[in-house]
Amino acid sequence: MSKGMSRRAFIKAGSIAVASAAIGGSILPKISTANSQIESYNRMMTQYYEGKKAFTYCEMCFWKCGVIAHVRNGVVHKLDGNPLNPNNQGHLCAKGNSGIYLLYDPNRLKTPLIRTGKRGEGKFKKVSWDEAFDYIGKKLKTIINKYGARSVASLLHGTGEEPFKILSRAIGTPNVIIPAYSQCMGSREIGWFLTYGTGVSGHAPFDYKNSKYIISFGRNILGSIQVREAKDLAEGLARGAKLVYCDPRFSETAAKADVWLPINPGTDLALILGLIHVIIRDQLVNMEFVDKYCYGFDRLADFIREYTPDWASKETGIEPSLIEKIAWEFAKNAPNVVAVPPRRFSRYGNDTQTSRGIAILNALMGNWGVPGGIWQRNKFKYIVTNINANDCEIKEIKFRPPKEKKPPRPRVLRADGAGYKFPLAPGFLGRENGIIEATRTGKPYPIKAWIVYDTNPIGSSPIGKNKLIEEVIPKLDLIVDIDVIPNDISMFADVILPESTYLERYDLPHIQKDAHPFIAIREPAVKPLFDTKVSWDIAKGIAEKLGYGKYFEESLKERIEKIIKRLPEGKQRELRERGVTVFEGANPYPQVSGEPLKFHTRTRKIELYSTFLEKLQKRRGDAYYPLPKYTPPKRSQEENTFRLLFGRVPVHTHTRTQNNKMLEELYTENKVWINTDDAKKLGVNEDDLVVLYSLTSKRESAPIKAKVTNRIRSGCVFIAHGFGHISKLLDIAYKKGISDSLLCSDDVDPISGAAAFLNAFVKIKKVRG
Amino acid sequence: MGGEKRKHRYAMVIVLDRCIGCMACYAACKDEWNIPINKEMFRTEVLTIEDSDNKGNPKVTFLPILCNQCDNPPCVEVCPTGASYKREEDGIVLVEPSMCIGCKACIESCPYDARYYNERKTAVDKCTFCLPRISNGLEPACVATCVGEARNFGDLNDKNSRVSKMLKDAKKVWRLQEDKGTQPNVYYVSLNY
Repeated sequence: MSKGMSRRAFIKAGSIAVASAAIGGSILPKISTANSQIESYNRMMTQYYEGKKAFTYCEMCFWKCGVIAHVRNGVVHKLDGNPLNPNNQGHLCAKGNSGIYLLYDPNRLKTPLIRTGKRGEGKFKKVSWDEAFDYIGKKLKTIINKYGARSVASLLHGTGEEPFKILSRAIGTPNVIIPAYSQCMGSREIGWFLTYGTGVSGHAPFDYKNSKYIISFGRNILGSIQVREAKDLAEGLARGAKLVYCDPRFSETAAKADVWLPINPGTDLALILGLIHVIIRDQLVNMEFVDKYCYGFDRLADFIREYTPDWASKETGIEPSLIEKIAWEFAKNAPNVVAVPPRRFSRYGNDTQTSRGIAILNALMGNWGVPGGIWQRNKFKYIVTNINANDCEIKEIKFRPPKEKKPPRPRVLRADGAGYKFPLAPGFLGRENGIIEATRTGKPYPIKAWIVYDTNPIGSSPIGKNKLIEEVIPKLDLIVDIDVIPNDISMFADVILPESTYLERYDLPHIQKDAHPFIAIREPAVKPLFDTKVSWDIAKGIAEKLGYGKYFEESLKERIEKIIKRLPEGKQRELRERGVTVFEGANPYPQVSGEPLKFHTRTRKIELYSTFLEKLQKRRGDAYYPLPKYTPPKRSQEENTFRLLFGRVPVHTHTRTQNNKMLEELYTENKVWINTDDAKKLGVNEDDLVVLYSLTSKRESAPIKAKVTNRIRSGCVFIAHGFGHISKLLDIAYKKGISDSLLCSDDVDPISGAAAFLNAFVKIKKVRG
Repeated sequence: MGGEKRKHRYAMVIVLDRCIGCMACYAACKDEWNIPINKEMFRTEVLTIEDSDNKGNPKVTFLPILCNQCDNPPCVEVCPTGASYKREEDGIVLVEPSMCIGCKACIESCPYDARYYNERKTAVDKCTFCLPRISNGLEPACVATCVGEARNFGDLNDKNSRVSKMLKDAKKVWRLQEDKGTQPNVYYVSLNY
């Protein structure tokens, strides 16, 4: 039943006999010696040396928790959370704790490499940095001369992405791709932006800690961990909040929920519309708030009439009476309630409208700027208090990071469709799915070079469906990969450039707009162990070879100092001595204090009815319906098939941590979750080997063990994301588990242009053995 | 409950509602005490117990386990060399590695699966309540990192300590396998149920 109870069963009963023999023997130390040994051991056990401290922020995932690295004898011994950093308040998750195993991973990239074998073969020669830069410079010049600057695309993810954006601008290409948009949060952000005029952003403003009632639509807060969110939810639940969790899978968050709704996958919007129907029908809306701050309530009320709980029940598989009950409880606890959108919202292709639905559900409760609802993000203002004998002066001073001299933004059509084919997809983020398509087809124009920083399209894009390895990569004349470990895409790179890990480098301070905005610094805990560089110097090396060195004249340290020097001296000192400084001049709950609320939409109100979508609808049709119209998800056309779901486990980040020794120990391979009844029909038992054949990508997985469980709804299967690495240079992760990227769908949400991965259906075949 | 006469009665109080099974404690502990990367070797662990409620719905409990620093420790009793001992001043059970002959009798006798044989140390190893850290004003590593703030550490002889208050305020308090007469010092509490 439990996974750990009998694990140490290697201890045989025989050891007792050994013990008795020992007592009878003569190996017992004399009592006096024993006493002095114990005494000296007791003394030793009360000594502790923390080591030297270095302040940084975590890069094991992307949410930038504050870290204090402790170094003993030049070795990073322990990572602690920085108690003063609002993102984690002293805590770190398992990933954050395991950063040491990234630093000391024997498979790390240690020098620049140039490919000698065929692409994918994993054969490289060591070269100097200058040779590598020279090679890249020459190749890029050839490509730019032949195909134009726009044929160079950059795929960037992580703290060090900024210099590569500068490099792209300098070259004159618009094709900068931040995969987090199309592969992850895009649809959520667009749905939110259309409604509130602002996105949810990476650091979500949901005040779980003070909430009384939380409905999460598949946001696995406790499994896909951001420390603050997880901690706040645990705190909220301990204070008595009710949690309703909606997901076909019984995740870590479901384990703590009061109600688990094993919803029919892809029908979340139907449930949301059902809830809104009840809330409006039974006059549970916070009308005072809606009258004052929302636009288009009457149209919403008309629109919602047909979406009854009975209708919603047929779509979702959730009882109408339960929908009624949840709607009432939610409204009864308003405004200290929150409806939570998933973070990775690249699911079923109806995601942007689903995000709109969730945004509206919140708005009707009037929970903006209220404890337990959605707090307001604040600008950087700090208070200077000057007290003398006669007077007390309080000044609010705004903080702005210095404006950099950057190359002009290239006025060139993007290749990925962001901004025109998908008018809402922002050009500063781009679409990874779009650039892959453009690279394969050569349309609207050829893409011939990829600069890939800290991301791995082989794990993050549907490589089975989009034939990334067979048809996309061969179109590229140059792939430059910058990373800390040789990930899957590195195998196909022409040049690999090793970046220093976050524990070995400086970076620009992390500046976060937040309930209480703050700045945190990153300083190296140890010098680089190998011949690695920071991303600023890597981009600079490439830029110099192309004649764009002028944009990189300042050193990274000078840039850091320039930002820090903008702060008053006290704040500077705090930052250097504690690693973080929090700006106190902020009020996250403006509604409570009676301050007017501002929304940056066209109507300056929360748009229940979207004026932006209305315009697009007129030009482009009903895909841009101004109210959250429900489109049922794609369904399988064949019998005995299962929808393939994938997601996070608490101990891994994307495709980047599977080679981490500690994290591998904690979660080794991604067993496929199969519902107990389904497994019975298939004749599959726990730990049987199965293969998944995807009807969507026509690809088959490697054999993988089954986890037979009632923790997943019948008709779907689940695997953890990030496994099944094909990089031979990763000793631990190579071929461990299976990859969702091989099997998933490459559908697109028509509004955001972001991906929809979960419209894939698989057959399960038992492996004879 | 014994130990009132000791200078300190150290205890861990785990709010089970707040454990989210994230395994941060496991990793922090292994880093701090340089415990080999090996699934059989740990000082603390979180069990994921999968079950069903009476309606057949899934139920998952995350249960942190560690050495209970028992007031009546069977491991100390069976140790043939005196390597396993209980400190008089604070009740923490330790293993003096150079005195341990690796007979593993203690591992066998512990009802909490709290001990393992550490080949690097050639001795049995276990949780020390982070004695070196707590002697120097720090919290145990697992407590400091605990994301859900489920783990709490303190002195039950201090009536005003956080742990004393938590035991007083909790709706439900229990210890593991109390029937074995071990008198454990790790408490599990529930706030709401």
